[in-house]
Amino acid sequence: MIAQLRKLVLGETWTLPLGVAVTLVAGLALDAAGPGWWHRAGGFVMLAGAVATLAVSLRRR
Amino acid sequence: MTAFLLTLAGAALACGLELLEALAIVLAVASERGWRDALLGAAGAIVLLALAGVVVGPIVLASIPLEPLQVVIGVALLLFGLEWLRKGVLRLAGRRAPSSSLAEYLVEREALHALAPPPPGRPDWAARVVAGKGVLLEGLEVVLIVAALGAGDEGLAPALVGAGIAVAAVVAIGLIAHRPLARLPESHLKYAVGVVLSAFGVFFLAEGLGVEWPGGDAALLYLAAALVAVSQLQVITLAREAPA
Repeated sequence: MIAQLRKLVLGETWTLPLGVAVTLVAGLALDAAGPGWWHRAGGFVMLAGAVATLAVSLRRR
Repeated sequence: MTAFLLTLAGAALACGLELLEALAIVLAVASERGWRDALLGAAGAIVLLALAGVVVGPIVLASIPLEPLQVVIGVALLLFGLEWLRKGVLRLAGRRAPSSSLAEYLVEREALHALAPPPPGRPDWAARVVAGKGVLLEGLEVVLIVAALGAGDEGLAPALVGAGIAVAAVVAIGLIAHRPLARLPESHLKYAVGVVLSAFGVFFLAEGLGVEWPGGDAALLYLAAALVAVSQLQVITLAREAPA
């Protein structure tokens, strides 16, 4: 049951939670650094992080 | 309006597909061991899910300020969405068995068939636990997805309406028995849910980190389009690499 709950929340591969965590940390760092472009274009950095996470998770099965 | 409709569609599809899997398990238990124990197990799980819904929605999410909340639900939706999308890409590329509630129904029936029934007149705890666990695990994902989608700017209304439509559709399928299960394009629907949940995840995560999306809510549409384009490229690449 615990293993199934863990799979439910974190998924079948560690690459997804790891990739989401890296994307989140990068976003927090960029938000804190506050470069001029972040508020207008930061969403595309997050999208790139999600796409890269998906690509890696599909390669490392 | 874009966010409202996408929230409604995402909640309806995600809830419908999860409930369909729960229904397959309850139907399997009912047909193998009788309706009484299957429904008692499912009812116990529904009580636990209602408690989880109250704790996650009005208590936990309502106590978090807006921007951190957007980050939390963005991360949660990305975790769910990317997992659905990953499995969807693998299924569409032929690298994973297609999703099938009918197959799940048959597997559960076979597993229960192997378990000895209790003596006459005694409660069938094995059947209750199998039905309850199935409904609890599938339902927990429904609770988390509806709570996360409902925490957005549009509020709980579109997520609850979507979930309500899903419940009605799944009950209708249950009443007409399991034949429609075989006809549903579950793999494609789950892939679509992955796209919608991932788009919402990226949208909320960025908003929580102070980003203003060009086009406002319409960003959800180009985020979904970008995710479809990238994931379809992955489907083509993986299908080409598949061993003959």
